[in-house]
Amino acid sequence: MASTASDSLEKRHHRKPLYVFEAPVRIWHWVHALSIVVLAVTGYLIANPLPSIGGEASEHFLMGNLRMIHFIAGYVFAIGFAVRIYFGLVGNKYSRELLYLPVWRREWWRDLFGEVRYYLFLQRDPPHSDAHNALAQAAMWFVNILVGVFMIVSGFALYGEGLGLGTWADTWFGWAIPLFGGSQQLRMLHILGMWLFIVFSIIHIYMAVRADIMGSQSSVSSIISGWRTYKD
Amino acid sequence: MPSRETFYEVMRQHGITRRSFLKFCSLTAAGLGLGPEFAGKFAHALETKPRTPVIWLHGLECTCCTESFIRSGNPLAGDVVLSMISLDYDDTLMAAAGHQAEELLEQTVEKYDGQYILACEGNPPLNEDGMYCIQAGKPYVEKLRHMADHCKAIIAWGSCASWGCVQAARPNPTRATPIHKVITDKPVVKVPGCPPIAEVMTGVITYMIAFDRLPELDRQGRPKMFYSQRLHDKCYRRPHFDAGQFVERFDDEGARKGYCLYKVGCKGPTTYNACSTVEWNDGLSWPVKSGHGCLGCAEDNFWDKGSFYSAVTNFGAMGGAEASADKVGGILAGAAAVGVAAHAAASAVSRIRSRNSEEVRHD
Amino acid sequence: MTETTSANGFALDDSGQRVVVDPVCRIEGHLRIEVNVDENNTIRNAVSTGNMWRGLEVILKGRDPRDAWAFTERICGVCTGVHALASCRAVEDAIGIEIPRNANSIRNLMMLAQYTQDHLVHFYHLHALDWVDVVSALNADPAATSALQQSISPWPKSSPGYFRDIQNQIKRFVESGQLGPFANAYWGSPAYKLPAEANLMAVTHYLEALNFQKEIVKIHTIFGGRNPHPNWLVGGMPCSINIDDTGAVGAVNMTWLNKVSDIINSSIAFVDQVYIPDLKAIASFYKDWLHGGGLSGKNVMAYGEFPAIANNYTNESWMLPNGAILDGDLSTVHDVDPRDTEQIREFVTHSWYDYPDPDAGLHPWEGITEPKFELGPNAKGTKTNIEALDEGGKYSWLKAPRWRGHAMEVGPLARYLVAYARGQEDIKEQVDSLLRDLDVPVTALFSTLGRTAARGLECSWAAHKMRTVYDDMMANIKAGDSATANMQLWEPETWPADTRGVGFGEAPRGALGHWIHIQEGKIANYQAVVPTTWNASPRDPQGNIGAYEAALLGTPMADPEQPLEILRTIHSFDPCLACASHIIAPDGQELAQVKIR
Repeated sequence: MASTASDSLEKRHHRKPLYVFEAPVRIWHWVHALSIVVLAVTGYLIANPLPSIGGEASEHFLMGNLRMIHFIAGYVFAIGFAVRIYFGLVGNKYSRELLYLPVWRREWWRDLFGEVRYYLFLQRDPPHSDAHNALAQAAMWFVNILVGVFMIVSGFALYGEGLGLGTWADTWFGWAIPLFGGSQQLRMLHILGMWLFIVFSIIHIYMAVRADIMGSQSSVSSIISGWRTYKD
Repeated sequence: MPSRETFYEVMRQHGITRRSFLKFCSLTAAGLGLGPEFAGKFAHALETKPRTPVIWLHGLECTCCTESFIRSGNPLAGDVVLSMISLDYDDTLMAAAGHQAEELLEQTVEKYDGQYILACEGNPPLNEDGMYCIQAGKPYVEKLRHMADHCKAIIAWGSCASWGCVQAARPNPTRATPIHKVITDKPVVKVPGCPPIAEVMTGVITYMIAFDRLPELDRQGRPKMFYSQRLHDKCYRRPHFDAGQFVERFDDEGARKGYCLYKVGCKGPTTYNACSTVEWNDGLSWPVKSGHGCLGCAEDNFWDKGSFYSAVTNFGAMGGAEASADKVGGILAGAAAVGVAAHAAASAVSRIRSRNSEEVRHD
Repeated sequence: MTETTSANGFALDDSGQRVVVDPVCRIEGHLRIEVNVDENNTIRNAVSTGNMWRGLEVILKGRDPRDAWAFTERICGVCTGVHALASCRAVEDAIGIEIPRNANSIRNLMMLAQYTQDHLVHFYHLHALDWVDVVSALNADPAATSALQQSISPWPKSSPGYFRDIQNQIKRFVESGQLGPFANAYWGSPAYKLPAEANLMAVTHYLEALNFQKEIVKIHTIFGGRNPHPNWLVGGMPCSINIDDTGAVGAVNMTWLNKVSDIINSSIAFVDQVYIPDLKAIASFYKDWLHGGGLSGKNVMAYGEFPAIANNYTNESWMLPNGAILDGDLSTVHDVDPRDTEQIREFVTHSWYDYPDPDAGLHPWEGITEPKFELGPNAKGTKTNIEALDEGGKYSWLKAPRWRGHAMEVGPLARYLVAYARGQEDIKEQVDSLLRDLDVPVTALFSTLGRTAARGLECSWAAHKMRTVYDDMMANIKAGDSATANMQLWEPETWPADTRGVGFGEAPRGALGHWIHIQEGKIANYQAVVPTTWNASPRDPQGNIGAYEAALLGTPMADPEQPLEILRTIHSFDPCLACASHIIAPDGQELAQVKIR
């Protein structure tokens, strides 16, 4: 424990700025974030509609528009996801960190627990990492990959219900409906997925900002410029 | 045994002209959602085929499927029973009882081995050696297995036979089990609903008899012609949903104006059935049209999906705990926010402390 | 033991030949009857067994009370809606919700439509073949049938040609060799007494009634969206009324109301011109077959039904009154209070359930149930292949409910006797007129035929009552009240934390009660005691026998191989076993561990 802390202490004084987030990753990050905000807001309002509006039905298309925006944002989310996976294969080594968790590496586990200890104030400095620390990597993998895949599958399965039997969405994703216990059940799980994204976002933003304030590396600016810089 | 007559012969003997017979065929074909070219095939099939024997068994159920069946207006249930099929066993309607009734089962197995349709209403309980449903002193499941062994195909009437329905709702004390989980070696056509729509029932059975094949089924074994769309897709209140006009509570202004029932729990958006198109009782009305949301009664395990009066419902999988997606999610997000705030405060404190200690050290 | 006397005074003798009827067909659900006949083929002992159990009350535990109506409605699809109504009443009683007047009228209309349709279907499709010989109809002279029909009713479908067509239909059906539901029955039995012409008339109406019954229930479709299993609502009815404003197509509007009115008219016409004349014609040939009285001449009971005043469930309001008659004493009618824990109690000594004190009786609010399937020591066969049951041990999935310790008969005849004894004019007039027409004394009512006749009279009463209720509702709407639901206490936050309620009334088959205990907005306990449980109940620890068993005693059988007489009497109760046998009273105990096959 002591050695880990001194190691990182040792390293951080000799860091030059590092180009971590390549442009496609940065663009994806912000597009992804935007699509999640839009999906969450519209999705929530589809499940829990606003107070009823009066007048003729023909004068309004509120739910219709919300659903349309949700679907468009869903496409953005899914296509972005596919592009990001592709770039993970061809991009720099940091871009690959999101695709899998190196659970077979002892150091990874050591770093993970080191991060946990750091955030529990049991350890003064975090283990060193360039792009994603082990804890962040685990959280991102769980939410963005695992829950993300579930949201894409369930989302298109539910979308396919409206497109109809035999359409591409039904053919590719319709199997998910009986698998998860029917349409209503899948909708509820889809909503729960949204909440997991919201929980992730809260923590993610907090940690990014906190890292900027308290940590030794740049954080928020890195995902804008791509460069990881180090304080003194 | 006298030779069996074809459906057409029986109809002619009933004084029905060829013209009205053909009209019946085209109406039925149209009623099944088939094009006019099918009317001819339908007529041909009915002219050349003897009446197919049907054995109608009852397990744990409430007989709502039989009651629904006899509400059929097109074709009339009486015509189906007397002219289209040969209903050789149905304990709810048959004149015989006791061993005279049970003999008919054996006669059918002997005479029509592999040729009869087995129509199952209700399901067998498997707990207590099956003795939660006793017929002729034996467990119902034995009778079901025996009759299934010799049948050509099975129709699972209603949600009991298709999914398990109310007696299989949590905690399913009798271990009531849907037909396809007990009989795995015969084709099962699921006709879910609690009960199914009368014309859907007669439509499915006349299709099987007229074309001598199973209707095309979806992933879950339901005839596509009736179960491929959600009620929501063809609901006449859909414009109000799209506009954002909802009934907020029963008998409010929105209710009187026929607004969408989604907010008072309508499960139309997640329920596959023909209610919004075929409608009920000769196409007169259906639940949403009468002002109550859809219960989702044609869906698997609809009893355990939470309140009938909420759009966002519980997870069936979560046992007895009341847990809707929004509730669980809201709590998680709240906890995350509180945790973040607490952690931020703790971070600030720790930072001040470490600064102080550094200052002390510098001193 | 061979000869004994039951606690309620019926002589029993189980020494003769044992006859088993299982399944009893043309009923709802699964019922087994075993009888012993003496050397003259007269029934001397009878055993009634409920053959199924679904455990719905276990399932209801922990759920939202506002959803309970939908679960309990699935107790029975034949008397659809009656459990939903009892359930709504129970929840409203527990929480203190008052429903609007229109909701009361709509509920009454739906329930009356249910009575009309259910009684009609019972008579023609579940009961008539016990009296009517289908095959004999082939020998009828259509002209004579036409003359018979025209002499008893103005019903327009009565020409000789019409009856000839129907006769030809039946003939060809029979000649096809595929007899379907009419195969292997008891045609030609000496127990059938009708002349061929009456048989043809009745068979014709069997077919007509099959086509007509689906019209009556359209009242459910209009107000509840469908039938079977229409929708209900705690606090009123889900169908809004909108006769003036924009969007009238989205609610009950003038066209719907007109449709209801038309259905009422055609129902009255069919019942009065087809059902009632047929009933009288058939009864006149069986006047000397006055068996099957059983408990009806002794103990009968009704909870009351059709509140004329919304939210008032007392005799001030009931159109069919509440009351109990003991020992055939029509001069004293006792009040029945489902809340009184001394009055209604259930026993399980002979039922496949277990109590800590096996011979105790428990009020539904305090019930305990554990299924316990075991056969008595003298049963023949094995657990999964029962040849004969032992009525000395446990022998039914039904409990034995008792009122102040007495076995009671419930149903249309019980309701009519209570109303008659209470001196209710409309009922008295109907009954007296029928007795006059048939030229039989009032004691003739205490019989299988009396039960069947009371059901017919009630069907007519219900059809006419729809008109009264409809007119009341229209007057109320005219006065400016179009409310159909009271949503003030809809949210569980507005409810008392711990409360109990009872919803009671009369299903077509008899007295029906639902007892509910709500804690923290959830169902803590739910119990239903239903008509067929009263009638088909097994014996109790005091040795009282139930209505089915009592009614079979003393009936001579023409041929014990052909259980026609048993079917007649059992069918006259209109059994509904899915209703009767779901009974279980959860009190927080887990079910007994059951073997997994």
